[in-house]
Amino acid sequence: MAINKRIFKFFFPSLTPAYLIRVGLVALSAYLIFGYLLIPFRIQGTSMEPTYQNGQINFCWKLRYLFSKPRRGDVVVIRLTGQKVTLLKRVIALEHEVIEFHNGKLLINGVEQEEPYLRYPYDWTLPARWVEPDSIYVVGDNRRGPIQNQIFGQTSLKRVLGGPLW
Amino acid sequence: MVTYDLRSKKPVPPGGRWSSKRPSETHRSTFSRQTKVKITLISLILIGVGATILLTFFPSEEKRVKKQFHLLAASLSKETGENIFTMDQKLKKIGSFFNEACEIHIPAYALSGRVSREEIIAYATRGRIQFRELLLKFHDFNIAFPKDDEARVQLTARLTGKTATGEAVNEAHEVDSLLAKIEKKWMFIRVEVVEILKK
Repeated sequence: MAINKRIFKFFFPSLTPAYLIRVGLVALSAYLIFGYLLIPFRIQGTSMEPTYQNGQINFCWKLRYLFSKPRRGDVVVIRLTGQKVTLLKRVIALEHEVIEFHNGKLLINGVEQEEPYLRYPYDWTLPARWVEPDSIYVVGDNRRGPIQNQIFGQTSLKRVLGGPLW
Repeated sequence: MVTYDLRSKKPVPPGGRWSSKRPSETHRSTFSRQTKVKITLISLILIGVGATILLTFFPSEEKRVKKQFHLLAASLSKETGENIFTMDQKLKKIGSFFNEACEIHIPAYALSGRVSREEIIAYATRGRIQFRELLLKFHDFNIAFPKDDEARVQLTARLTGKTATGEAVNEAHEVDSLLAKIEKKWMFIRVEVVEILKK
């Protein structure tokens, strides 16, 4: 009987002021956490395969780069106008570096780079580019298909919203 | 004859238990509290209804501007197997959102300059033909009014669908646009697709 009563009370609690305050605090915390710190997002598209699959759910941890800058190999969330639609890309070059693709090989300052996160071969060729100050160069992990159809390139560090939680 | 209440064992005044001319203090306070609650609830409902009516029939300029974007998105979007009549109606509508001459900058498509309304319709026709299915949606509106009859809108445009050859399309672009209020209607005078990632 006591358990039944507890279950009933759990699902149909009496609306006491203390209960309402508790509900209010939980709602406020959820709003602040999921609205400003850990922004939930769903991956749409295959540009980050196989690291991130289409349809996966993740969170953008906004404090990831509060005291540091993104490093080469990091996956970052890039904002457009707001944070409802964002881009998920991998940092392959940092400011002042020269980036180049030659027959499916990534070259940074003329040195070929190992990219263990890549699974699919690609054949991109892109002339050397210098990454401007306060910028990073980002690309997706799925580089199959012609280079013209891919969304990648240099962006300002100000556009980095954070990093995925996992 | 005196009657007694069966529960309280107290005498009931003539005319019944609840019909005494002078109710007790407790009854009076309960009554006034209930009335207060009722009045507050009715006032809140009336305020809510009034606000809804005001917002529906007299939308703010921000809402009017947003509406133009949503209408434009609906006109540019395309369903599978769209018939010629619907296509014609949509294309005519697209033209009505733009000023006679509009500045357009889309670096990805090497499109930059001042174009006429007819040219915009032609571009839209050509663009839509390349898709079998197209869905355009606008998000993250950032609206500012630098002048009374001018609105600067920054937003994210999301384009999904399938090309005529069956390839999936999933693009997101930042758009910076300027609208002017001409004859009580917000019209596009400048549209620029901001390049977020420079190859």
